[in-house]
Amino acid sequence: MTIPKTDGLHRRAFLGATAAACIVGTAPPLIAAPSPQVRALVFAGSTVLAAGNGLMRSQNGGATWRAAAGPDQELRALTTHPQRPDRVVAALDAHGLAVSDDAGASWRKAGAGLPAVAIDALATAATTPDTLYAAIAGDGLWRSEDAGETWAFVMDRPFLAEAERDVTALASVDLASGMGGIWLYAGTTFGMQRVPDCFCRWQDVQPGNALDALVPGGDAPETQPLPEGQPVRALVSPAAAPARLYAALPSGIWSTDDAGMVWRKTSDVEVLAIAVDPATPLSLVAATQGALTYSRDGGETWTAGAVI
Amino acid sequence: MAAHLCIAAALSSAAIAEPSNVSFLGSTMTPAQIQTGEALYAETCASCHGENREGQPDWRRRLETGRMPAPPQDGTGHTFTHSDADLFAMTKFGIEAVVPGYESDMPPFEGVLSDPEIVAILAFLKARWPEEKLRFQAALPSMRSSPDG
Repeated sequence: MTIPKTDGLHRRAFLGATAAACIVGTAPPLIAAPSPQVRALVFAGSTVLAAGNGLMRSQNGGATWRAAAGPDQELRALTTHPQRPDRVVAALDAHGLAVSDDAGASWRKAGAGLPAVAIDALATAATTPDTLYAAIAGDGLWRSEDAGETWAFVMDRPFLAEAERDVTALASVDLASGMGGIWLYAGTTFGMQRVPDCFCRWQDVQPGNALDALVPGGDAPETQPLPEGQPVRALVSPAAAPARLYAALPSGIWSTDDAGMVWRKTSDVEVLAIAVDPATPLSLVAATQGALTYSRDGGETWTAGAVI
Repeated sequence: MAAHLCIAAALSSAAIAEPSNVSFLGSTMTPAQIQTGEALYAETCASCHGENREGQPDWRRRLETGRMPAPPQDGTGHTFTHSDADLFAMTKFGIEAVVPGYESDMPPFEGVLSDPEIVAILAFLKARWPEEKLRFQAALPSMRSSPDG
């Protein structure tokens, strides 16, 4: 089945938003509306895709952008295949998924088995890229092991501060969980947790593997978690340096080099979506309320991109 | 460690039948032990984990109590992602012995089942796992690092 697509439907909004583009520093910087309302960013090989009310493409790490073909619906989340840059999986605004195998030239619906509600976050498993994860508000985590065609429920939502919390961002992180697999990190409406990809239990990031981390005793290493209780809007980990993660919070962009043991604020810039070049861990692209920006130094400094 | 020594002694005295291809804590299990485990599973475990080890319905979704339903033990759950030592400890002392603070409906079986009986049940479960799950568990770092695993 194919679905309608649109080409450049919202280009004017991007142009308007970026006409006032300016160099972005670490202070709250950015330009005002009209906003392109980018909800999701992802690297597809060396190409960057920005999705929201339209699809945009950058071939130079976010410096310049062009409108691209996309499904004729707003998009909420994106994920890509690390070895097949033309493959893009998009969460549609109402519900369901659209898949393109030709870099957006054509799209087809997928997602059999998923409930008919919107998907808040998508991720591709770092070591098994035909495995995808989807987070659904009020429900939990779903998994596809056939590149998005069929799905099954795998895990409830994280339980934080006496309540289940919706997952807002997902990152598959290629670090051994100690349980035969790797970790899936989740940003939620109330902080971050992670779960081994066998899906036995959500847990805070602690030293050691999934079970070692839970055994009391010994010297506890230094930890500096993310600010407690803040929503995590985006969470990414570059394949080339999986212990490095970036998290977008209302308080700014935070980064860690040890898989989440110690976080530090990298920038005060408040962003809605963020992507990291899988091969270049310091190369980031972010979307603020009204602009697309990029950084080449791990988020310390930011420059506004331009639509051409 | 004391528990492991106790188990090893018990297994030695029970090893009267031919070995199977299933090991537990480094010792090869006999068909007789696995048969014993099957009977004990039916008596002690099946009411929650299912007659056919299928687990409780919708076992991945949290109950109203906040606790998780009993997972399957037929290889479709996540039991195979735990080492023998952890499986034994969770069964004997409760999940909290391995995951401190974790609240579970599964009680500790210390005083209800002897160590050899717990081993027999777990060996029966392993004997019914698909081969790839046995290989997966055998490759766990916690299995390799175990002095008797």
